[in-house]
Amino acid sequence: MNSSMINAAMSMHAMQRKLDVIADNIANLNTAGYKRKTASFEELLTTLKRQDERFAQDGRKTPLGYTIGWGVRMTQVLQDMTQGAVQVTNNPYDLAIIGNALFEVVTNAAGDRAYTRSGAFRATLNEDGDIVVTTTEGYPVVVRDANGGEGPLLVPAGYSLNVDESGRVSAVSADGSDVVPLGELKLVEPARPDALLLVSDNLYVLREDADAAEALRDIQPGADSDVRLVQGSLEQSNVSLETEMTELMMVQRAYQLSARALASADTMMSLANQLRA
Amino acid sequence: MLRGLYTAAAGMIAQQRRHDTVTNNISNLNTPGYKQVNAVGRSFPEMLLHLTGVEGDKPRKIGAVNTGVFAEESLSVHIQGDLYSTGRSADFAIRSDLQVPGVQFDGSGKAVDENGNVVFQPQAFFTLQARDGNIRFTRNGSFTVDQEGYLVANDGSYVLGADNNPIQFPQGTSIDRLTLTGDLRFVDDLGADTGAQLLVTVIENPNRLVNEGYGKFRLNDEDAGLARPLAADDRVEVRQGHLERSNVDAAQAMVDLMSALRAYESNQRVIQFYDQSLNKAVNEVGKV
Repeated sequence: MNSSMINAAMSMHAMQRKLDVIADNIANLNTAGYKRKTASFEELLTTLKRQDERFAQDGRKTPLGYTIGWGVRMTQVLQDMTQGAVQVTNNPYDLAIIGNALFEVVTNAAGDRAYTRSGAFRATLNEDGDIVVTTTEGYPVVVRDANGGEGPLLVPAGYSLNVDESGRVSAVSADGSDVVPLGELKLVEPARPDALLLVSDNLYVLREDADAAEALRDIQPGADSDVRLVQGSLEQSNVSLETEMTELMMVQRAYQLSARALASADTMMSLANQLRA
Repeated sequence: MLRGLYTAAAGMIAQQRRHDTVTNNISNLNTPGYKQVNAVGRSFPEMLLHLTGVEGDKPRKIGAVNTGVFAEESLSVHIQGDLYSTGRSADFAIRSDLQVPGVQFDGSGKAVDENGNVVFQPQAFFTLQARDGNIRFTRNGSFTVDQEGYLVANDGSYVLGADNNPIQFPQGTSIDRLTLTGDLRFVDDLGADTGAQLLVTVIENPNRLVNEGYGKFRLNDEDAGLARPLAADDRVEVRQGHLERSNVDAAQAMVDLMSALRAYESNQRVIQFYDQSLNKAVNEVGKV
């Protein structure tokens, strides 16, 4: 097989992977809190054919040796964590983060934590009739009380939820006369975004070998911070259809061009076969 | 044997190399920081032909021929690629237009003076330290911050700072809060210096770089003198949140691909014609 053929086949494979990433982004155009993914590409290895001293002729510009590249590969999928647009929904359980931070949720009885940007929470009732604020998948949101203890966000029955821009949570009775402070929402800033792994349901978890203290930083939202919380609003996906479509076009054309190179390499092999017609 | 048979075969191999190189350029149409490679051909050494065996006469000179061609060098074209915004704080792109006093470079990054001497435009590169400790240069500024706070390239190579040590950000600092200043220092959102400064290396003659693959170049030991750290008055800027596009020209690549294929085909036909001549010589000459 000639190297053009291997090369073109490798790059078609890589382009296909990039198309998958773009398709994922477009599918999540309307997912609250979704962060766009970008694929990063890298040239593959090159082989160096050695040349001896006699090749060092006048007019040669490069050092001895002839390099042949072998195509391209997709190295990693990176998250574009830029802010998405904030849409007003007037649902008290919708919370939007403005700035770089994540909500913390509990994913199982053992108390394992996950992080999410999606503030589309909902009210679930527990056996005592209290409202537990959870994600759409049912994972409770973590709040911190005045003593620093962490627990789920429980709103007493008949009370409504109130969250201010600093993340302080309180329950307000129906007539507004009774306000019960419930602590503050725990928000973390990913100081080392690479230590976070995107799992399903728009949740991030810490990689197993990651140091939580190093990777995540507790932050205090509010007026004197660059992070704020908005109740009754949702952060939309930060995918822009225009960008994705232009990327799609570029990838598609690159794919076509590689397919042409493959066809051309095939023609060359056929010509070599027909040498003795 | 007929001399031209081997010439045409050499031509086929050389065109195959050219085709491989163009295919690799097409493959890397969307690779950040990729530099287009051109295959440069060279003819085989000249051979002087003499007419001998003429009675009572000295051998007569006929002339020189080249008996073939080969792909001699793969030349990277180190001209600036376009920048595009990615929105990631750990993406960096170099824009360089380095000048040499008294020399005016053309669009392809070279200048020829009246005596025919060629000067190539110096280029700026990010400096990486591979895990084995070797120094590499790259234009692909798609970096990430690893879990220990080091700024690393795709394969985990460290990005070097101006003090020639890997750049490591202090604990708890997110790259999203850092801004790269004009003199390549990282300052946080309050304007405080983090002590990290990006090292950009200038290579005086980028043609001497050897492509190692994975977007990385190295300098051979004898060329180590061609590298120097960026000086304050160099016309180089590094943009955070941007990447440099591959400088491959897709239309030109398509044309090169077609012409390599057709030249390969022509050489193949020439071999067929020689084969037919041989056929005549072997089977028809002297046939009764």
